[in-house]
Amino acid sequence: MIGFDLNEDQLRYQKMARTFAEEEMKPYAAELDRRQDRTFDWGIVRRFAKANLLGLNVPQAYGGLGVDHLTAAVVSEELAAACLGISGSVCGTWLATCCLSLVGNEDQKKRYLPLVCGENAKLAGLAVTEPEAGADMAGIRTLATRKGDHYILNGTKTFITNAGLGRFYVVFATIDPRKRDGGLNAFVVDGDEKGLRLGAIEDTMGLRATQTGELIFENLEVPAENLLGVENTGFLIAMQTLDIARPCMGANAVGVARSAFEVALFYARERKQYGRPIIENQAISFMLTDMATQIESARLLTWKASWLIDQGTDSAMASSMCKVFATEMAERVCNRAIEILGGRGYTRKWPLEKYLRDVKALQIYEGTNQIQRIIISSML
Amino acid sequence: MIYKNIGKKIQMAREEAGLSQEELASRLGYTQAALSNYELGKRRLYLANIEQIAKELNKLLSYFLDESVVTLNAEQGAPRDETTSEILKLLSELPAEEKEYLLEYIKWRRDRLR
Repeated sequence: MIGFDLNEDQLRYQKMARTFAEEEMKPYAAELDRRQDRTFDWGIVRRFAKANLLGLNVPQAYGGLGVDHLTAAVVSEELAAACLGISGSVCGTWLATCCLSLVGNEDQKKRYLPLVCGENAKLAGLAVTEPEAGADMAGIRTLATRKGDHYILNGTKTFITNAGLGRFYVVFATIDPRKRDGGLNAFVVDGDEKGLRLGAIEDTMGLRATQTGELIFENLEVPAENLLGVENTGFLIAMQTLDIARPCMGANAVGVARSAFEVALFYARERKQYGRPIIENQAISFMLTDMATQIESARLLTWKASWLIDQGTDSAMASSMCKVFATEMAERVCNRAIEILGGRGYTRKWPLEKYLRDVKALQIYEGTNQIQRIIISSML
Repeated sequence: MIYKNIGKKIQMAREEAGLSQEELASRLGYTQAALSNYELGKRRLYLANIEQIAKELNKLLSYFLDESVVTLNAEQGAPRDETTSEILKLLSELPAEEKEYLLEYIKWRRDRLR
């Protein structure tokens, strides 16, 4: 049998996340988006820590909430509906904890997972992308050289969410670039380690509440016990982590699209032209109809991908499909919403232009939509 | 995609060891259905699973994970040419008796060239 109802636990998390998003995110969204300086607002971390939301996917044994992937998707939608920029810092942390929970040994989990849990929780990050290695992960050049009981890391990572803010990072480096994917390794690196510094912070189109930037490794010493999994299994670790985290991208897109749709629906009912609300024109109501239909479709695909992950089955195809469909749907919905509001939609008095700028990032990061299409087409 | 490739290699290594799905599954403590799903790439394989399977089938972990086009030549430290890489890749997929047959054939070709 098949059912689309969330269970009691999931409904409880949905309600909690919705209240949190309304009270602790929405009031700050516009201000954090508009500021010109790129100083990170630590208030974000304090508020999320209070609700233990940074530890959403961390098993309860290590202090987290330990929810399944479907519940995480439900929560992600709610947070993104309030502000994708603010929720970006949280998603960046989840990527690192997702990876660590997946392949970390007991000692590594005990040392690092509790750091993002509870009232004093800190941020974390996943560092894969490099200036010359984006989609082609096997082209990573950050070098890890074994020296006794340590590895020495040298290289530069770019477009890293939470760069310079993380208590720890999961970093991908190669022991020999000629080995391509066969030489990749994942390490847990402390954020305050000597030899690690923050490079340039990006001035981005959207997601302006999040700090994204470069991480530079200069003869950084990582203890060998911080190697994740087995030596030279970094490629599998990275692929698995991104595969599992991908439906959250879909859920984020659904959240932003939902907010844009709600603004447009509200406006279309209130705005009067020719003596009647503009929603009474089919040109407008059909736009809203299409938006609602596409949001619902994207949500179902996202839930299916998350459900497949929770079942332990291969979810690669559904994960990629939900990212492609939901993130492109969200851009269309934001554009339509702006059109429904006309000139007002184009102004900063309304949040729609921010939604559009924010949502564009989802099509690009954590595997571009073009890469997702390659994954899907290889499985057809 | 990754699981399908790894799954195929598990099947190859299992057949090379002369084991049925039931036999390997029971040694690993899996059900036959679970192993079948791994081989078909339908279930998510965790690193720990692959390690366990590699150990049981006496293979290196890299046998299941390496997808590289450029394979390193251990002695020379230089990349192999594409033809050699392709031959080695295809060779690794063949059962033992086929390899013996090919060895005979390669020796015959070599002798003819002399």
